[in-house]
Amino acid sequence: MGTLLEVKGLSVSYRRGGVAVRAVDAVDLDVPAGAMLGLVGESGCGKSTLARALMGVLPGNASIDGGRVALDGEDLTELTPAKRRQRLWRELSFVPQTSMNALDPVYRLRDQMREVLCERGGLPTKAADERAVALFRSVGLDPVRLTDFPHQFSGGMRQRAAIAMALALNPKLVIADEPVTALDVIVQRQVLDTIRRLGRDLGLSAIIVTHDISVVTYLCGLTAVMYAGRIVEQGTTEALTRRPTHPYTMGLMNASPDLHEPVETLVPIEGAPPDLADPPKGCRFAPRCPLALAACRESDPPPVVVEPGHSAACFRAAEAGALREAARKASTWTR
Amino acid sequence: MASIELPHIAAAARPRAPGLFARLARHLAKNPSALIGVSIYLVFVLVAALAGSIAPYDPIEILFTEDGQLAASLPPSAAHLLGTTNLGRDVFSQLVLGARPSLFVGLTAAVAVATIGSAVGLVAGYLGGWVDRALMRLADLVLGLPFLPFVIVLVALIGPSLQNIVLTVAILLWPNAARVIRSQVLTLSQRQFIEAARVTGAGEWRIMLVHIAPNIVPLAFLYGSIAVGWAILTQASLSFLGFGATDTISWGTMLQDAYASQALDREQFSWFVPPGICLVLVVLAGFLISRGYEELLFPKLGEG
Amino acid sequence: MDPLIEAFGLTKAFPVSRTWRQMLRAERPRLKAVDGIDLTIRRGDSIGLVGESGSGKTTVGRLLLKLTSITSGQLTYRGDHLDRMKGARLRGFRQQAQLVFQNPFDALNPRFNIRRIVAEPLVNLGVPRAEHETRTADSLRLVGLAEPQRYLDRLPHQLSGGQLQRIVLARALVVGPEFLVADEPVSMLDVSVRAGILNLMRDLKERLSLTSFTISHDLTLVRYICSRTLVMYLGRIIEQGPTEEIIARPAHPYTKALIAAVPRPDVDQPRDALPISGAIGSAATPPSGCRLRHRCPYAFARCASEEPPLIEVAPGHTAACHLHIA
Ligand SMILES: Nc1ncnc2c1ncn2[C@@H]1O[C@H](COP(=O)(O)OP(=O)(O)OP(=O)(O)O)[C@@H](O)[C@H]1O
Ligand SMILES: Nc1ncnc2c1ncn2[C@@H]1O[C@H](COP(=O)(O)OP(=O)(O)OP(=O)(O)O)[C@@H](O)[C@H]1O
Ligand code: SF4
Ligand SMILES: [Mg+2]
Ligand SMILES: [Mg+2]
Repeated sequence: MGTLLEVKGLSVSYRRGGVAVRAVDAVDLDVPAGAMLGLVGESGCGKSTLARALMGVLPGNASIDGGRVALDGEDLTELTPAKRRQRLWRELSFVPQTSMNALDPVYRLRDQMREVLCERGGLPTKAADERAVALFRSVGLDPVRLTDFPHQFSGGMRQRAAIAMALALNPKLVIADEPVTALDVIVQRQVLDTIRRLGRDLGLSAIIVTHDISVVTYLCGLTAVMYAGRIVEQGTTEALTRRPTHPYTMGLMNASPDLHEPVETLVPIEGAPPDLADPPKGCRFAPRCPLALAACRESDPPPVVVEPGHSAACFRAAEAGALREAARKASTWTR
Repeated sequence: MASIELPHIAAAARPRAPGLFARLARHLAKNPSALIGVSIYLVFVLVAALAGSIAPYDPIEILFTEDGQLAASLPPSAAHLLGTTNLGRDVFSQLVLGARPSLFVGLTAAVAVATIGSAVGLVAGYLGGWVDRALMRLADLVLGLPFLPFVIVLVALIGPSLQNIVLTVAILLWPNAARVIRSQVLTLSQRQFIEAARVTGAGEWRIMLVHIAPNIVPLAFLYGSIAVGWAILTQASLSFLGFGATDTISWGTMLQDAYASQALDREQFSWFVPPGICLVLVVLAGFLISRGYEELLFPKLGEG
Repeated sequence: MDPLIEAFGLTKAFPVSRTWRQMLRAERPRLKAVDGIDLTIRRGDSIGLVGESGSGKTTVGRLLLKLTSITSGQLTYRGDHLDRMKGARLRGFRQQAQLVFQNPFDALNPRFNIRRIVAEPLVNLGVPRAEHETRTADSLRLVGLAEPQRYLDRLPHQLSGGQLQRIVLARALVVGPEFLVADEPVSMLDVSVRAGILNLMRDLKERLSLTSFTISHDLTLVRYICSRTLVMYLGRIIEQGPTEEIIARPAHPYTKALIAAVPRPDVDQPRDALPISGAIGSAATPPSGCRLRHRCPYAFARCASEEPPLIEVAPGHTAACHLHIA
């Protein structure tokens, strides 16, 4: 299948108190039609900023410094904001990070659905209501509840309603920012299954932003790992989880225990991501990386293809096998 | 296993916690309207404090010109900056000394409203139950009273001294402050750090006074600055309507004098316009301070 | 060993808003967030409490710490009735039993610096001022903040989530408690930071011989720090036993679902539909019989008419399901 979304060299920065904060830095990303891509990384790594930049809904103090975002071959960054807004909902839609609270508390869900379906989609009210019923069914909600207000819904139901709304106009691509983070395991699983079914039945493409690698493994065929504004490793989820090549990915895997495997000790990644207003020289992970060499602190590692469709931005990518051995030992990570 | 924190975060020397005054100063620097408001107050406070040396004449002294004539209704001149009244009193001196009762009434009423409002809001919001219901009923009742008529009746009953005017204003204005502070207290009580205080053995009074009260100071401050304008206006209105004390010179009595002697018809603008402007300025200052107060109330702690 | 905490028929009911019909009939409906649970916590135990959102876990934790009143039933700490504790005895209890909060960003007074935050329990419990400085610093070192001086003068917003959760732990430990309740201690933290906090909790439990009670909806976490696990559903304990045993051989359909729902970092994990469907109802109107029956794939006639009691399915492992009675 062809590439649906192609991102090349995308950079975004925020102005904050006179300094520029480069929250997304030269990101390349491909999403094939019908694929689900998981975007993982710690808090503050720029995941939401990237998602918002793809949607063209960045806050006022943010600017795109370069790069292109092509949907079906057409560069979205060249469109005027008004043209771009027209594509929202119809071609790509967004489930924002706080979608639990993003529904408007003063309107019934049916009215919020109508807003999207009639105003954006140009459907007559009657057709819109029928479509709303179908959408609610497709995300596992009882259509009777369309007349409810958001506060009458549980967290999981609100999350599903937000997904239903994102699907309203049959977009080609849905970007969901942390769609399950605030939910308990059972509801989380139900929401994940809803998204998975939509992918299988409708061929929906999606970018799922999360900090939980297990969620990506469960749901997505492709994974991109983001650190300090950059994609440090990407490829199929299978390749990334079986053969992680960037030490950051190895660290994330260590920190994500498997319920069904005995764990002696969990291994944290010490420290925190750098301040993006003043990122470290060289590889941005070097200050936290137990496997860093002197060269890592000098210059930026370019992405290296380690196997077809799997690349990592690490100077030691060629030694990945040995690094994985080392990274599995807890002693490697505690200094 | 005691893990090591990342040196490059911890090493960066962070500034000390900014105190309330530092925050206040920063808030003012960023907020021109609040700065203007505070400046207006400061100027008036200074004038009131130094009134004795600023005023060239005794405000109630009846003045005569050099040729022995009553210095009545003189236009502004170097000797009488704002001219004189129809009884030969210096308007500028009256204006300067009139700042004293006005500010006294304004500031004491502010303190009274802020104190009563905070106390009632804290107790009602934190203790809840019947205490809350009783206090809020009372607040509703007071809010239902018509403001000026009630003040007039009360002052007529207990006498028109400045203290009594402050008292009546405080009695009428605390409910607004108390209601808002109560709801703020309710929100704060839900915060986990309050439960944390309880779990570590803090008594109810300590939680109320040490953990909750500091967080409502900005709100109390806000309602205090609103009360300043109200109190001064009330005092002026009472004087103007003739219910005030007759022996003190205030902006209100000046306006009343000017009105009674038909200064408007005689186009003696320099007599009644300045006290009017002063009143407007003081009320405006309270309004300017209250604007944008949220920033002070809910400091975005993230921007430290 | 003798029990530290014992509960019999522990119940907590909250009033719920009434419909006009209920008002006419003068009914006072109540929501039993915790509905008659029995519990024994021995010294040195590390117990986990799992269940969906709304099952009543936090309420149990708050009852154990006397942060909310008991509606009915009994709850004792070292044989003392918690609901009758007052004055010096209550202060003694506050020194012994502490809580670690879910949201470190909310659990610290934003206007206090770290020094004041960590010393607050010492002030409240009347520890002489002279000792505060050293005890505060010791406590920070205990939670892995090796150079306390760096943190003492900062405000909470100047620290990262992981550091804040360590401060929350330091505050709990500064009075030298023996019993620690942790309510979702890492759910607000990044995965990479979680591991550090969980290791710390495990390590502290060992070093300080703490008794711990950990609340979470995530069995992965509970498995890591708890030797015994209770599973809760709509106010009731429906299964309990050794953690490993429960994960390897869950007896209750609900526990099976909780385990199956946990996503794993493994591309070949099973992705079958969950064994239970639908959503947890309100504890204000629990179903008759087994509370899970509307969601349970195995439910049969008896499940609607009779509430299953907890019965032993293996030594030290009990479950409340008719499948195991039949
Ligand atoms: N509106 C904004 N103005 C200035 N800086 C911002 C803004 N939004 C985000 N940032 C900064 O940009 C960086 C990336 O933030 P972003 O929200 O994209 O991260 P994230 O990976 O989504 O994190 P999380 O997991 O916490 O949602 C952070 O350093 C953040 O402080
Ligand atoms: N103060 C209260 N007043 C009224 N109802 C309450 C109160 N506290 C809790 N409840 C209700 O009690 C039930 C159990 O709540 P509880 O917070 O104990 O659940 P939980 O298992 O901790 O859930 P979560 O995983 O979402 O934290 C819920 O239905 C909740 O709405
Ligand atoms: S008692 Fe019946 S309904 Fe309840 S869990 Fe067992 S089989 Fe299911
Ligand atoms: Mg985000
Ligand atoms: Mg809870």
